[in-house]
Amino acid sequence: MKFACCWAGIVGVLFVFQSALLPMLAFHGVSADLLLAFVVSFAFLRGSRLGVLCGFLCGLLQDLATGTFFGTNIFCKMVIGYVCGAFSNRVFKEQLFLPLLSVAMASVLNYFLLAVLMVLLGYRFDLLVHLQQVLVPMVLYNIVFAMPVHYLVYLTCERMKEKK
Amino acid sequence: MSKVRRDRDSGRTIWILVFVAVSVFCIIFFAARGRFSVPFSSRAVTAAFTPFQRAFSWAGNQVQDVTTNIWDILTVHQQNKMLRNEVEQLRAQNIQANEYAAENIRLRSLLNYKQAVTQFDLVFGRVIGRESASWTGMIVIDRGTNDGVQKDMAVVTERGLVGNVIEAGPFSSKVELLLDPRAAVGTLVQRSRVAGIVEGDPSVPMQPRMVNIPRNADIVEGDVIVTSGFGGVYPKGLIVGTVASVKNDAGGLLKYALLEPAVDFQKLEDVAVIVASREAPPEPLKPPVQTPGTETPVPQPESSAGGEK
Repeated sequence: MKFACCWAGIVGVLFVFQSALLPMLAFHGVSADLLLAFVVSFAFLRGSRLGVLCGFLCGLLQDLATGTFFGTNIFCKMVIGYVCGAFSNRVFKEQLFLPLLSVAMASVLNYFLLAVLMVLLGYRFDLLVHLQQVLVPMVLYNIVFAMPVHYLVYLTCERMKEKK
Repeated sequence: MSKVRRDRDSGRTIWILVFVAVSVFCIIFFAARGRFSVPFSSRAVTAAFTPFQRAFSWAGNQVQDVTTNIWDILTVHQQNKMLRNEVEQLRAQNIQANEYAAENIRLRSLLNYKQAVTQFDLVFGRVIGRESASWTGMIVIDRGTNDGVQKDMAVVTERGLVGNVIEAGPFSSKVELLLDPRAAVGTLVQRSRVAGIVEGDPSVPMQPRMVNIPRNADIVEGDVIVTSGFGGVYPKGLIVGTVASVKNDAGGLLKYALLEPAVDFQKLEDVAVIVASREAPPEPLKPPVQTPGTETPVPQPESSAGGEK
């Protein structure tokens, strides 16, 4: 319970940081998705089951707080949590290159999942233009913030292990 | 035994995951179409995060203000240079805009004049040169024989007479101003129809004189002087100026009047050359005022009667 509260606090801080501060650094309205980076790191370090749960809760928080199409963030982050968690046994978790590459790939996956959902909901857009204007800056932003988020999650996991 | 249980657990987990994923997928579509709303309002979540968001946002704004101020201080020199440049450019643009505005006003008034004087065919021209010696005697305009301008044509503005063409080239013409000492314009006092000749006065370059006025002629200050039409160069009725003062001639038999020209020769930029003139159409007859009780019906004009038919 104590650990869960700790994780919830971290997610809350990341969300507030993402929603209140990062828009000041936004490029054409696009800024980093810290919760995505958190879900990726968490899933890599704790496995697919907890990754899915983390993705579900983070997505739920985003959907409830930002008021977009309800469920889209839940679905995308769950899938990303599961996929990243599935790879958690096959990679060496301590290496620094891991969060950068995984967050970049997760950002692309998240973008395309959302794009497919939007298309299925009946919205049309010019994919090439949208890729340039949204995906590229989003991936770059996420890569920049991936390392500190991963470091935060990694340190928290280690401390929890020590306490256990 | 434990392996079998682990396999069963993992299978159950996958089924649960698939079920949740499908449920969320369905929720997305139901929510998008308004058939599903979140059981507990998202307002609660928003309200819970609002104070923190506000605090972070405030802190972020403060940091941004500080960094912006520091950046401003660091870049103030460069910014100053750019602003000076911009100010210079804007000043130049402003001057140009004022020029265009003034030109627009001049051309508009000339156009109004053209529409008002239907008895004249006008060719509009721009002053492209002035005699450098006195600035009062001669101008060059950018219209010539190619545009129908010929020697001895009258040149006017919407205010009145400017002078006449003394030399016409294919693309430009020289115009002798009313102020030139060589100019001589046959004129009339509009009110009393007293005739005289307006000529330039070399001693007072901006005030032409009306000479050859009999001593007992009816002319006073403020009288409007118009062209008489004698001589054939200037059409009748063009305004030349107003009488500023009347003086006796040295000989004692005649007097002369100093005129305030109607045209501002210092600001002469656009002019019109009268290339053809006709008699002005007569004013429509107005029925006299009738004594009450003895009115006779006024006949309707034919055109309106035809229109009614």
